[in-house]
Amino acid sequence: MSSPVAARAGDRGLAVAGVLAVLVLAELIGRTGIAGVGWPPISEVALYLTESSAQQLLGRALAATGAAAAAGFLLGTVVALLVTALGALLPATAPGLDRLAAVLHAVPLIAVGPLLITIAGRDATPTLVAALASGFAVFIAATSALASTNPAQRDVFSVLGAGRLVTLLRLQLPAGVPLIVDGLTLAAPAAVLGAVIGEWFGARRGIGVLLVSSMQNLQVNQLWAAALTAAAVALLAYVVLVAARDVVNRRFS
Amino acid sequence: MPAQTSSTPAPAETATPTAISLQGIVKDFPLRRGTAVRALERLDLQIGHGEFVALLGPSGCGKSTVLRMVAGLEQPSEGEVAVEGRSPADLVRAHRLGVAFQEHALLPWASARDNVALPFRVAGRPVDRTRVDDLLALVGLTGFEDARPRQLSGGMRQRVAIARALALEPDVLLLDEPFGALDAVTRRRMNLELARIWMEQRITTLLVTHDVDEAVLLADRVVVMTGRPGRVRHVQQVDMPHPRGTEVTRDPDFHALVDRLTAMLDDPEPTAEPS
Repeated sequence: MSSPVAARAGDRGLAVAGVLAVLVLAELIGRTGIAGVGWPPISEVALYLTESSAQQLLGRALAATGAAAAAGFLLGTVVALLVTALGALLPATAPGLDRLAAVLHAVPLIAVGPLLITIAGRDATPTLVAALASGFAVFIAATSALASTNPAQRDVFSVLGAGRLVTLLRLQLPAGVPLIVDGLTLAAPAAVLGAVIGEWFGARRGIGVLLVSSMQNLQVNQLWAAALTAAAVALLAYVVLVAARDVVNRRFS
Repeated sequence: MPAQTSSTPAPAETATPTAISLQGIVKDFPLRRGTAVRALERLDLQIGHGEFVALLGPSGCGKSTVLRMVAGLEQPSEGEVAVEGRSPADLVRAHRLGVAFQEHALLPWASARDNVALPFRVAGRPVDRTRVDDLLALVGLTGFEDARPRQLSGGMRQRVAIARALALEPDVLLLDEPFGALDAVTRRRMNLELARIWMEQRITTLLVTHDVDEAVLLADRVVVMTGRPGRVRHVQQVDMPHPRGTEVTRDPDFHALVDRLTAMLDDPEPTAEPS
């Protein structure tokens, strides 16, 4: 009984040790200065984060980025699911939709950004880039989720006289929920990074803006603080969705 | 052997209008580049209203393919399948078919009750809750209405699957090795259960199985198929009265019949026999 618990505690201990090792290494590199002025000791970045002005600055940036990422995540997910559903209901369109998604994904977000700025404006761009980044992950997960239903269940639905819509709503979607949530766990960090990239091209505020201005003004501590904040938020989004996935898996399998 | 193939009492068939009719069925499955394997070769089978027919054959003889064609899941390469005088697709559209497979194929996220109610929802009809609960009682699952499939044993899952197949009072019930994945003891118990359930419903039933005991215990007629390509080799009328309980399984006649049919399955049949 206690051995799996002990194993899990051991895993956790190893993970903590790993993170600590990375932090110590980063601190050492910063202290010795072997990576140049661009790499400050992590303790200095942490100290900078305790300043209230820094907290306000990062807080405002985080609020903007978080809002853009959340809106983009929602938009990307909804559009991806609608497109997937369209492919399931009109199978003739499915290969075309797959290719369209692949092409859209092949265009680098860095290249899409300036385009979106001119089309949708600087305020909408972070959200749209976040939607593009997360939507693709959801689309791929959802199309494979809908295709992965058990053949015997499909046969039962066929013999019961279920149409495509009923099969989609009563079989494919519920059966696909765990895989779709898997896609969401990948899409959430992608949305945060997409929002940051979108802000890069000239949003009014946000982590991306902060990154650009810190870089241009050689505010090394601020640059690192902003980068670490973005990473922490992406990680947090991932952790929250992994927890949600465990709940969902228990319900749908 | 050809004499035995025609041993079915033909007058009885004309007396009862056929519920399921397969005529001159040929089924080829395409393999690589133009080659094909012939699964069924000119198979004829008529099933009367309210008749329970078991299709018995060695594995790979195409018996499941026969059932899948009646269910509209496969199309014959040649020949004609009619259920109640219509194409299987028509019956499927009218939600008049019930089916249970070896794999229970229940929805894991739904309770036993919701699984049995599924055919109502698929057909877009209001769920008849009394009917659903009556069916669960019929298959002996009162008290397990809210259990999810993974909380049920293998035998219980198959009971749910059979209750689901019966939900809309189908014209035809199709059972493809429904107890094939169960252990021998559970399987025997489920056979006796099915015999009882069937007595109460009297639905035209096609059962596909490789278990001779099961076929003889349940069916009015046992149709033995040849190995691939599958054809009807022998039709055996089983005249023991329904419902058949444990006492039948101790009857020497039952065992003699089982032995005869088993021998027929074991015997490598001259498949090249002209028909």
